[in-house]
Amino acid sequence: MGKYEGDPEWDDVVPIPQDDGEGALAQIAYTDEYAEAMGYLRAVMAAKEHSERVLDLTEHIISMNAAHYTVWLYRASTIFALNADVEQELSWVNDVALDNQKNYQIWHHRQLLVDHLYPSISSDPNAIRKFAESEVDFMTQMFDEDAKNYHVWSYRQYLVRKLNLFTEAELKSIETLLRIDVRNNSAWSHRFYVVFSDPKYSTPGSHATEYDPKIPDEIIDREIEFSKAATFEAPQNQSPWNYLRGVLRKGGRKLSSQECFAGEFVKIPENGEEDIRSSHALDFLADVWAEEGKVEKADEALRLLGDKYDRIRKNYWDWRRGTLKEEGITKGLAKVELAH
Amino acid sequence: MVEPKLDIERHIKYWQRCLKTLLPTQYTSTDSNRIMLGFFILSALDILGAGPDTFPEKQRKNIRDWVLKCQHPNGGFCGSPNHRFPDSYYVDVGHGKQQMDPASLPATFFAILSLSFVGSFEQIRRDDCLKWLKTLQRDDGSFGEIVTQDGVIEGGRDMRPCYLAAGVRWMLRGDTPLSEKEKGDDIDLEKMVDYIRSGQTYDGGISESFQHEPHAGYSCCAISALSIINRLPHSPSLSGTEPQGLTNIPETIRWLVSRQVGYTVEKGEDEEETKTPAPPVLQGVYENQPSAPTPSLQDEDSVGFNGRCNKKVDTCYAYWVTASLDILGQDKAQLLNTKASRRFLLEHTQHRIGGFGKAPGDPPDIYHSNLGLATLAIMKEPGLKPFDSALCVTKQQKEIIGRLREAALSG
Repeated sequence: MGKYEGDPEWDDVVPIPQDDGEGALAQIAYTDEYAEAMGYLRAVMAAKEHSERVLDLTEHIISMNAAHYTVWLYRASTIFALNADVEQELSWVNDVALDNQKNYQIWHHRQLLVDHLYPSISSDPNAIRKFAESEVDFMTQMFDEDAKNYHVWSYRQYLVRKLNLFTEAELKSIETLLRIDVRNNSAWSHRFYVVFSDPKYSTPGSHATEYDPKIPDEIIDREIEFSKAATFEAPQNQSPWNYLRGVLRKGGRKLSSQECFAGEFVKIPENGEEDIRSSHALDFLADVWAEEGKVEKADEALRLLGDKYDRIRKNYWDWRRGTLKEEGITKGLAKVELAH
Repeated sequence: MVEPKLDIERHIKYWQRCLKTLLPTQYTSTDSNRIMLGFFILSALDILGAGPDTFPEKQRKNIRDWVLKCQHPNGGFCGSPNHRFPDSYYVDVGHGKQQMDPASLPATFFAILSLSFVGSFEQIRRDDCLKWLKTLQRDDGSFGEIVTQDGVIEGGRDMRPCYLAAGVRWMLRGDTPLSEKEKGDDIDLEKMVDYIRSGQTYDGGISESFQHEPHAGYSCCAISALSIINRLPHSPSLSGTEPQGLTNIPETIRWLVSRQVGYTVEKGEDEEETKTPAPPVLQGVYENQPSAPTPSLQDEDSVGFNGRCNKKVDTCYAYWVTASLDILGQDKAQLLNTKASRRFLLEHTQHRIGGFGKAPGDPPDIYHSNLGLATLAIMKEPGLKPFDSALCVTKQQKEIIGRLREAALSG
């Protein structure tokens, strides 16, 4: 006899069995436990029942199939219908999330809970601060397991928007993660967001790929220095190189403004062996030299990448050499035409 | 050296086992996506030349009936019979039927694709489905995955639903220009393009929004969606007035090719031992990177793919990256190190019982096995059918879908 069938508390419910028919695709060897619980879930959903026992049932199903796309919504609506304790639910969700690192639905559920809770604390700065701290503590636990968990970072960005966490504390907490692992690209991306979408000084809605004239120069300078320091720590880490390019574009500055810096990692003497400490520096310089019209130097950098320092991408570097020449010819022709 | 070979017969056997026998209990966590699993099985067999066109008619009919059983009475499809109530529960509530458990966008995309393998589109509630599709779109142009009885749009806010919506729309509407009335019933393509464009990140990739980290899966979904609605720069029907979905293709290409990571197995290691990345000396390798790059790639090495900067290799990212470049056109997939990527898939993630695992040494699963095979098909592996990266089916199947659509429309 099944768990629910034998339980007097569920006597009044007639489960709705699943109808798979003949020759179904992707049939799964369900356990009897799962098949029974799903039958009861369909029955309570059909009756629109929102009760304590529904919370138990949904918890049971989530433990077997956390990716069920409606059981979570049904659980949330039950919590709200019963006016159940949202903070207690959040702490239950913490445990489920720690056990299901890859699950998305949990984080959506958490957002629904926070959206529901927020109006009750929104007028009290102390309550908001306390809540933000406890959420950040929980995310720190999640990051201890996997500091690049995509869902946690999505939730983090939601929370920054919701609670207006464009703060020093937020920047410090990212720096802590980068001190543990300077290659944590998720943390780099989050920093870009917190710095360049800060409503205190950025243009509302300015895309990550756009120049934003409202960003103060000192912010641009600070971020350039931040990425440089990280690059000196690990020159072959692509994250700060990408970040540097992003910051320069935001600030409307040329790549060539950082030629000296990239040159720290690339020595190409007229005669003798070159000394390359970062393939990303070489890539950066290739773009700087192309920007300055030094086609031959740029081409040599790309050749070194494809032949020696980044051979797995040889096809790509060769293609870049091709486009460089095409652009060079086009520009050259334009000059000739102007001269006439 | 002798290049590894794809053992087609062994892969066919793997997929026939997936088709005919119960999937193990561990698949319970994917119970709500059974339609997707079903599609991956049918499609993989099609890539291998042993698709549903070779099945007996009785089997084709059973599959067709099963997929249609998952159709929601208000349009769209549910992800599994577990979300589908007996018909009598869907009572009329004045503005359509009682919703019970709503239809899902991923399920709808995979259901229509699956039906294309086993018959016709005539039993798809086309108009209901397209009306429902429109209700999934948010004001910012993004799509949710489900919409509740109260009209609340639920599900992630990222590039996947955009792709799925573009795919469903193409399969049911095609790409001929719409009349004014049809336009009113259509999803808002301009808003969708705006949403996708705003997902570009500072490093050239595409994320769920520009506030997050770029991801190869989202990048591919975004690029595929734009391709399906003809909004990539080289799209033949793109007029001068329609904005393109991507603003800096060279940066996107740089980000995509950067997903390649050198992968070598330490010498003398037993074949059956777990394979760990050798001294990681190449760009993109995550752990214990030395401070300087070393010119060390040997011809026998292989190249895997990660989905984000400084992450580990995974079979599915070989697909998301190769497909993205393939869609960007003009043989852009040739910018990848095809030979070494092929070696990575065949020597390290292909399993001896057929199929592919997520990472070297992992057992095969349906998702990674399908995408591993699809990657090889894009790379023009002999014995596999030519592949359409945007729709994620063989080119032949894409043509069939077009014909089924026309037949259903004129029928």
